[in-house]
Amino acid sequence: MLEIDGISKRFGPVQALQDVTFAVRPGEIFGFVGSNGAGKTTTMRIVLGVLEADAGEVRWKDAPIDADMRRRIGYMPEERGLYPKMKVGDQLEYLARLHGVEPAEARASVERWTTRLGVDARRGDEVQKLSLGNQQRVQLSAALVHDPEVLVLDEPFSGLDPTAVEVMNSVLRDKADSGVPVIFSSHQLDLVERLCDRVGIISGGRMVAVGTVAELRTDSTERFDVVGPPPAAWAHALPGVTVVSVEGTRTRVELTDGASDQDVLRAALAAGPVHEFRRYQPPLTDLYRDVVTSGAAA
Amino acid sequence: MNAPLPPGRAVLLVARREFIAQTRSRSFAVGLLITIAIFGIYILLFQFIGSQTSSNTLGVTPQTAALREALQAGAQAQDRTLTITEVGHETGEQQVRDGDLDALLVGVPGSYKLIGLDTVDSSLQAIVSGVIGQRAVNDALMQAGVDPAQIAAQGHVAVTTLEPVDPERGQRLVLAIVVAVLLFMSLVGYGTAVAQGVVEEKTSRVVELLLSTIKPVHLLAGKILGLGAVGLLQLLVLSAIGLAGSLAFGLLTIPTAAASALVSAVIWYLLGFFLYAAIYAAAGSTVSRQEELQTIVAPIMFPLLIPFIFAVSVLPNDPRNTLGTVLSFIPLFSPTLMPARAAMGVAPLWQVGLAVALTLASIVGVVLLAARIYRNSVLRTGARVSLKEALSPRRG
Repeated sequence: MLEIDGISKRFGPVQALQDVTFAVRPGEIFGFVGSNGAGKTTTMRIVLGVLEADAGEVRWKDAPIDADMRRRIGYMPEERGLYPKMKVGDQLEYLARLHGVEPAEARASVERWTTRLGVDARRGDEVQKLSLGNQQRVQLSAALVHDPEVLVLDEPFSGLDPTAVEVMNSVLRDKADSGVPVIFSSHQLDLVERLCDRVGIISGGRMVAVGTVAELRTDSTERFDVVGPPPAAWAHALPGVTVVSVEGTRTRVELTDGASDQDVLRAALAAGPVHEFRRYQPPLTDLYRDVVTSGAAA
Repeated sequence: MNAPLPPGRAVLLVARREFIAQTRSRSFAVGLLITIAIFGIYILLFQFIGSQTSSNTLGVTPQTAALREALQAGAQAQDRTLTITEVGHETGEQQVRDGDLDALLVGVPGSYKLIGLDTVDSSLQAIVSGVIGQRAVNDALMQAGVDPAQIAAQGHVAVTTLEPVDPERGQRLVLAIVVAVLLFMSLVGYGTAVAQGVVEEKTSRVVELLLSTIKPVHLLAGKILGLGAVGLLQLLVLSAIGLAGSLAFGLLTIPTAAASALVSAVIWYLLGFFLYAAIYAAAGSTVSRQEELQTIVAPIMFPLLIPFIFAVSVLPNDPRNTLGTVLSFIPLFSPTLMPARAAMGVAPLWQVGLAVALTLASIVGVVLLAARIYRNSVLRTGARVSLKEALSPRRG
């Protein structure tokens, strides 16, 4: 298990991270979300040892991460970085070697990953001659060529076209299935919701929520969608029920103070035919907005 | 498959990449060719200048024709060629105007005139006035009944040296200057390459990826070793070509002195390179863009430039110059000044040894300091890192 335990970091007057704690299990894809400047990149840099934490510890398999362990992490920095004038193949091989891979194995691995990511034809080209999307694929290859035990990817999906997103997605899933904990940050919340097993939301340097999307939902208020008679005929009279929105015949109500969903359904049926009655599953976008705004208010 | 990476291996991997990237780049080959071309042009230029015996043409009128022999002798004493032709006053002036004559000497004792077009060559002027002045003195002496030749003999000063004059002094001088130029070029060129490399890694952000697997000090060491090796290669190639060329053209007849100058150049290149490369790397790490680099590396050139100028301008005339001797012991100045003095044959072995020891000691200090600045600055992008921040003992 990759454990981030009580990490704090201050840059001059700015408290960038405050007691950040979460864990990523082997085989799990962990989505790390938060607004710009919330602390995602700083956290990842600390995991990679590129930055030093003021307090706290990062552990892998119960041992604090040291230089030798760091070499076994695959990292994709937020600021993409490759030598622009170096050939793709040479560059990836060099990076694999720097991670301790033997020459022959490094070559084979470069071949394997460039093929998998669809940039094998560009191995002889300088990085600067590649399109941004292809550079991104090379960058991901750079995080994978040394067969890492842990993957830490900062915004791996930004700037990718839908095909590349699918390739990236399948690569991450395969790595996770082989027992690698994968942590990635993203602003594309729909993508995070679709790909990730668990999600961590960071705001203002603090973790405001960690868990599966379903777990995050249980913390939120109960809402139901009713497709049927207009709400004026049934909802307004019910105690603990507020109408959130009305779209055509669809009415979304929020239940508080122990109001019963069955009472709501009965009242609606009494007012007219009900074609659909279901619990509303808020998407991650809504959950995110809720936690971040309530976190900011606290 | 990820074996632990010993520090030495990390450094070597980085050094290998730097060496390959640098030698494969077009700028390396082009730079080498241009340098060879410049050296060739210099040699040709020196040969051309050397072949130019300073010569003048002077016209004399029938009135001044009597001075002809004395003028010729005066010119010879100064190692100059003087062609004297006798012309009429008018014709002579016309020839001066046409450029056929450099000057025309007219008049009688007491009112001699040297006529030039818009100026008269100062050395020609000196020859003429010297001869005429001497002639006046001689005339006066003879009138007083004294033999001018006797007076001249009494006034003669013989020049002699306690130690035998070095017949190869001229060659040694050229060797010293060539060594100084080569060292200056290599140190500035490859020092700057180190700074540029550091900034390139910052600009392209690849440094973050590298530092997630190796230590900053290993990256720094690898970069300096790799580029230093390229600089050494260039130095050796240039020296080999220079030596072969000048031996073939008979410009150089002291191969042993040349060989020892080459050995000392290589040793001083290595010492100077480690000293300056560390400084250049530290300077480079404090900025984020190549454009900012110029302002910060320019001051580093001064401690290289001062001894270089000293070596090529003062030492040739005054190899035992006291200031030069003192400066050649100061670590930042030694790498260009001491080998030049050694090539001239005026630096005893103990002086060279002392300068090497002092430089080695300062390399240790400078490298430690540079590594700290580099470590503190290399991951910071944006504004230039202040020296105070860069030197702070620990930064996350």
